[in-house]
Amino acid sequence: MNSVGEACTELKREYDQCFNRWFAEQFLKGEGGGDPCGQLFKRYQLCVQKAIKEKDIPIEGLEFMGPSKGKTENSS
Amino acid sequence: HPWETVTTAAMQKYPNPMNPSVVGVDVLDRHVDPSGKLHSHRLLSTEWGIPSIVKSLIGACRTKTYVQEHSVVDPVKKTMELKSSNISFTNLVSVDERLVYKPHPHEPDKTILTQEAIISVKGVSLSSYLEGLMANTISSNASKGREALEWVINRLNAEIEEFAASARGTMRNSMAAAAFVEK
Repeated sequence: MNSVGEACTELKREYDQCFNRWFAEQFLKGEGGGDPCGQLFKRYQLCVQKAIKEKDIPIEGLEFMGPSKGKTENSS
Repeated sequence: HPWETVTTAAMQKYPNPMNPSVVGVDVLDRHVDPSGKLHSHRLLSTEWGIPSIVKSLIGACRTKTYVQEHSVVDPVKKTMELKSSNISFTNLVSVDERLVYKPHPHEPDKTILTQEAIISVKGVSLSSYLEGLMANTISSNASKGREALEWVINRLNAEIEEFAASARGTMRNSMAAAAFVEK
């Protein structure tokens, strides 16, 4: 499955693989232990944020999780 | 299928042959809240195969429709709730959907899905015929959704089977090799 930003597809695939494994094998079984995919997610996120800005996709009221957590993107 | 299977499949729902118009899926945000529930915000891009003459009128970059999806998975209470609404450049019609997956109260190997859709039209009056048409499309999409998850579950099971078969093959080979050496 592709990403909305063509350049982000590979980063997305790596993150997805990591997440799907953690989700099925740990999260659903009630094992806390935190999400091990944070680094992959950050890299993938930066790419997606850029693609969304470039394509002018109007997403409302979302806080993007990036290196600085308090960032809020507002578009109307 | 048990709730865990359905929930895992729902997180990996695309691509599948029942939803060929979904061309992109991205995670915009994901976090576990203080009560242990996983929140995910996803963006789905869909391409409807609009005829090229229409594309040339409205511009090729405007033929994608986007859907914003917020899901919450509670692994303790075993519920998965999905809310989605479409975002598009024209914004005349918006469709909000809400899906909830829960284990069947009496049959632990089954999952119950409740699904509702709210159709809103802004500033354009649609005849009741068109509204009925949309409602029918949405309900047939609901059964398509179930088929889609069934397809994903079968795919995941086939992958597990393949992995197990090749692991068994490897084990048999090593056992045969060990028996040979022992002689």
